[in-house]
This record gives sequence, C-alpha cells and structure tokens, in this order.
Amino acid sequence: MRLLVVEDESLLRQQLEQGLSNQGFVVDVAEDGKAGLYFSTEYAYDAAIIDLGLPEIDGISLIEQIRGADKQFPILILTARGDWQDKVAGLDAGADDYVVKPFRLEEIVARLNALLRRAAGFAKPRVNFGPLTLDLTAKRLSVSGEDIDLTAYEYKLLEYLMMHPGQVISKTELTEHLYAQDYDRDSNVLEVFVRRLRLKLDPQQTLKPIETVRGQGYRFCLAESG
Amino acid sequence: MRAYSLRSRLMWVFGILLCVFLGLTGVVLDRAFRSSVEAGAAEQLQVQIYLLLSAVDERDGEFYFLETLQEPRFNQLDSGLYGYISSASTGELWRSDSARAFDPPEPGFLRERIGVGQSRFQVMPGEAAVYFRLSYGILWEDGISEFNFTVLENADPYYSEIRNFRRDLWSWLGGVAVLLLMIQTFLLRWGLAPLSRMALDLRAIELGEKDKLEAEYPKELRGVAANLNQLIESERKQQSRYRTTLGDLAHSLKTPLAVMSGIIPWLKSAEAKNSSEFLSQLRAADEQIERMNQIVTYQLQRAVQADNSLSIARRVNVAETTDQVIEALQKVYADKQMFVHREIDKHAQFIGDKRDLMELLGNVLDNAYKYGRSELIVRIKREATLTDGVVIQVEDDGQGIPNEQVVYVLQRGARADTLMQGQGIGLAVVADIVDSYGGDVSVTTSVLGGASVMLTLPATASQ
Repeated sequence: MRLLVVEDESLLRQQLEQGLSNQGFVVDVAEDGKAGLYFSTEYAYDAAIIDLGLPEIDGISLIEQIRGADKQFPILILTARGDWQDKVAGLDAGADDYVVKPFRLEEIVARLNALLRRAAGFAKPRVNFGPLTLDLTAKRLSVSGEDIDLTAYEYKLLEYLMMHPGQVISKTELTEHLYAQDYDRDSNVLEVFVRRLRLKLDPQQTLKPIETVRGQGYRFCLAESG
Repeated sequence: MRAYSLRSRLMWVFGILLCVFLGLTGVVLDRAFRSSVEAGAAEQLQVQIYLLLSAVDERDGEFYFLETLQEPRFNQLDSGLYGYISSASTGELWRSDSARAFDPPEPGFLRERIGVGQSRFQVMPGEAAVYFRLSYGILWEDGISEFNFTVLENADPYYSEIRNFRRDLWSWLGGVAVLLLMIQTFLLRWGLAPLSRMALDLRAIELGEKDKLEAEYPKELRGVAANLNQLIESERKQQSRYRTTLGDLAHSLKTPLAVMSGIIPWLKSAEAKNSSEFLSQLRAADEQIERMNQIVTYQLQRAVQADNSLSIARRVNVAETTDQVIEALQKVYADKQMFVHREIDKHAQFIGDKRDLMELLGNVLDNAYKYGRSELIVRIKREATLTDGVVIQVEDDGQGIPNEQVVYVLQRGARADTLMQGQGIGLAVVADIVDSYGGDVSVTTSVLGGASVMLTLPATASQ
C-alpha cells in the first residue's frame, strides 16, 4: 500500500517514514501543504497521513483541496492540540480518523489498516474468500484453516489484489503501490511472485484465485464469503 | 485614514444646518422686503395715475390738463417720474413734460392691451437705471375709446432702500450665526465630556493607576462602562489563571521527570542490559511519558478556557454542534456502526464559547462511542428552571464507569496529578469546563446498562 505523509517537523517525518516502511508500506513524504497537494494529485495513493498544523496551506485546506480534486483515499489527521473543534473541523473537511500527538507508531498503523480495510469495503479485519482467509491485522493468510507461509512481498501482492477484488490491476499499478521508488522494476519479478502465490494458495489448481488478464494485469476473482 | 471624530462630525453637521437655516431665513426675509417695497411703489404709482385721470380732459384727439398737475415731478425735466397716455391702436398720445427728453426702455408698453380697470405693474431694467411702471386701462367718457394711462418711476431710491435692508439683515444674521456656533462648540464640549473622561479613566487603568472604571457615567454610558469593567476583570482572571496553570504544570511534571531521570541512567548502565528488571523499567519509563502527556493535555485545556462569568459570551446552537460532533465520531468509529437515538431540542442554546461546548460534547460522546457497544442515547433539553440553560445527557450500553473512579474524577482538586485510566481524563476535562460555567456533572447508570453522563449548564454563571 502506498502512503503519503505530510508533516512539517523533520524528525517526526523521518520517524514516520522509517516506521511505516518497516511495516511494509511504500511511503512518500511531503514537508508542507503545497508539496502535499502536488503529490496527492500527481500520484495514486491508498491513504494519507496529514498534520493539521502545516505552514502555508494549512492541514484543513489541504484536505479540502484533496477532496475537491476528487481524491477519495482515506486520510488520517495528526493534531498536536487535540481540541475537539480541530478534530471535528478536520473530519468535516474530509478526513476519516485522527491521532493526537504524541502518538505511538502502533496506533497509527492500526488506524491506517482499519481505514484501508474499510476503504476496500471489508467490515471486519478477517476476510473470507471461500477457503481462503486473510487476517489483515495479523497479516496472515490461511487456506482451509491452515496457515500459509508467505514472504513479505508475496503477502503485499496478495493483500493488494484482495483489497481490490474483481478489479484488473496493471503491473505498473502493482509496482507503484508495492515497491519503493528505487526498487529495480522488473515486471518478471511480479510474474514470479504470482506463480509462487498460485502454487501456495491453490496447489490442486481448483480455485484459480488469481486470473491473468492478458495485456492488462491481474485480477483476484474469488468472491467474499461469510 | 483620517481620524474619525465625534465632535468634529457633530460640529460640521450643526454648522452646516445653521448656515442653511439662517441662509434660508435671510433669503426669505430679503425677498419679502423687496416684494413689500415693490407693492408699496405700485400703490404710489396707482395714486399718481388717479391724479392724472382727475386732471385730464380731451378735445379733438388731444389731451390737455385742466390745471397744473399737482405732482411737480411730472413738470420737471428728467425728474424720475414720467407719465404717458397711449392707446393700443395708435400708440403714444401724450407724455408729461418730465418725459420730453426721456427714452423709456421697452416702449412696447405704450401699445399694450390692458383691460378696462385693469392695472399692469412691471419692473423695467433700463440702461442707466431700473424703472417701475404701472399701466392702467380706462374707458373714456364716450364709451368707446380705450386708453392706457402709464406712470414710470426711477426705482433707484427704492433699490437703495432694499440694499440697506439687505446689508443690515445679513450683518445681523452673520452675527447671530457666529454667536450660535460659539455656543454650539461649548455645548458639544460639555456634552461629550463624559466620553473624554472615560478615555482618561481607561488610560489610567492602562498605566496601572486604577483598577476599573469607577466614575459616575451618564445613563447611556453606564452599560458600556459595566461591560468594560467585566472585560477587564475577566482578562485579569484569565491572566492569573494562566499563571496558576503554568505553576501547576511545572509542579506536576516534576514528579514523572524525576522518575525518568532515575530510570534512564540505570537503563544506560552496564548491569541493566542483562537484568531481569530491564523490561519493567522500560515499561515504567513509558508510563511516565504517558503521564506527562496527560498532564500537559489536561493543563493546556484548563489554561485556555475562557472565564465564563462574562455576560457578553456568544450563544451557540447546541443541536447543530451536537450533530457536527456525532457526524465526526460516526466516521471515526465507522466499524462500530453505532445507533444513536437523538432527543434534541433544536432551540437549546449554550451561552459561552463554542470551543468549550465542542470539548464537552466531544469528550462525553467520544467516551460513549469508545466504551459503548452498539447504541447511544443523546438528549439535549432546555432546562426548565433556568432561562437559556441547557441539559446534555449521553447514555451508552457499555460497561459503565466504576463508582470510585467517578467520585475521584469529579472531586475537585483530585484531577491534576494522577494518571487517569479509561474515561478518566475526558471526564476530568468535562468537569473542569462545566465547573467554570457554574454547572453540574452527574454520572449514573444508564437504562442501556452503561454510563449515563448528565451535564447541566446554566445561562448565567454563578457569581
């Protein structure tokens, strides 16, 4: 999942970038509202973390402008003051949740995951697709009750496809959302991951969870159940 | 931007009004006098015409006089008084001796058609002077012939009289104007004196010489003076509140800081890394950080609260604010799908700062959402016994708040220093704000099984 972090305090910005990358997110950072607005309209993000107290374009105007540009990804606001007036104003402007500074990274990650899950349309953290169960909080996959061992990138790829069920995701989109900028983009790597995933998920080749749409990308074609 | 002065505004307005009024008066009087002079002149001329009529006779189309004309000026050359007899058809028939070398301006009057018994008065400006003319139409003894009898008079003497009058009039009016302006200046100064006094008093307050506005002010300024005094008082209270809070903050932070300054050096030491105590000490340090965070948050809330004994605080519609907060919380707790029963009086008003109301609603509702399971009741009512008072009640279906915690939090003075769990810190902030408005907080068990928090907010704070 690709995130945008807009925070003017450099130490905090670095902490967030580092911490969230360690959790498997691809993170872009912006240090003020103008840059934040530019990034959010130039690139596709799955979610954003925006500090309310930004210089120049302040947090609330930034959120309004992002929503005005018809970008619907979930937004988590960071606020130092914690006034209800600020929180309500931010949520009213288009944000989806808030975190008061100082915060724990776990809290940010937990809230982000909840927002991403909700945005994908899943009401609970554990989602079932037939015999496949994805635990979004624990970041674990099980097939017919048995835990399957996946590498970090395999999990990320599967999770992304499952969070956009029925949609055809191009290789470019997958690369942008799963791998940091300087990763060597070789589309063959994706093919390898997909092949491995298919082997692990569907050894008997009965489910066919991941479909290759020739020339366009991949699609997760199991329906949510239970 | 030019300085805007009440006094100069009033001076200008009165001054202009005065000039306009006196000016109009002068013009009206001037015109009246002139009319009167002209009317007088016309009457005189009419008399002259009758005299002519009585002395005149006609034979063979020629007019002659039975006796010497009584008015000597008719006989003196260029006397200024000139007589004419004419007819509309034939023009001039006779002129007086005085008119022999006279050239009347606009001689068309000789042929003017005037009805029998009718007079025509005219002011005729000529080259050298202005003339009054009166013409009178008569029917001769023969019953057929119609003649005009005209008398012209040099109007200079009359105009001289008018000029004198005019000069006197305007000098007097001018004098009166000056006098009135002087009186007006004095009156304004005297009338606006209380405002100057208030300005001086405020200056004295600024310099610290006085505490508040004490002087007697006229009825119109009393309200302003009272409000200013309240404002000054509230500012003072706010300042002392800041000082106290900063003091409290510093004091409260000392303890956790002290604990941390004991733990951290130990953690750095060599023995620490392998000690079984390592993790628990780390946890303790963490706890102290959390405690410091709570203290800062809590004291910050206290410091920026407005002092709410001010009667010029704003009115906030409670229903709208509540809806805003609920909408925001529905987003945040979207996973919970809370069902909110609302019994909200749309006209309930909160007299105070909107920010405070949001803090109250935010904290109480947030607790309800966080600890509730699936439903909430929100009631906003106007308090029957207090005008403009409001009662806010929020009930949830969670596990409720343990009584000891409630008592502890709502007890004054207990809140500042300790680490509060769960609903504690939110309730503490709410209790503080409600206190400052002279209201009341009560926490009981809800019919839904969880906590029922009721805030009573009067309109005017306790004195």
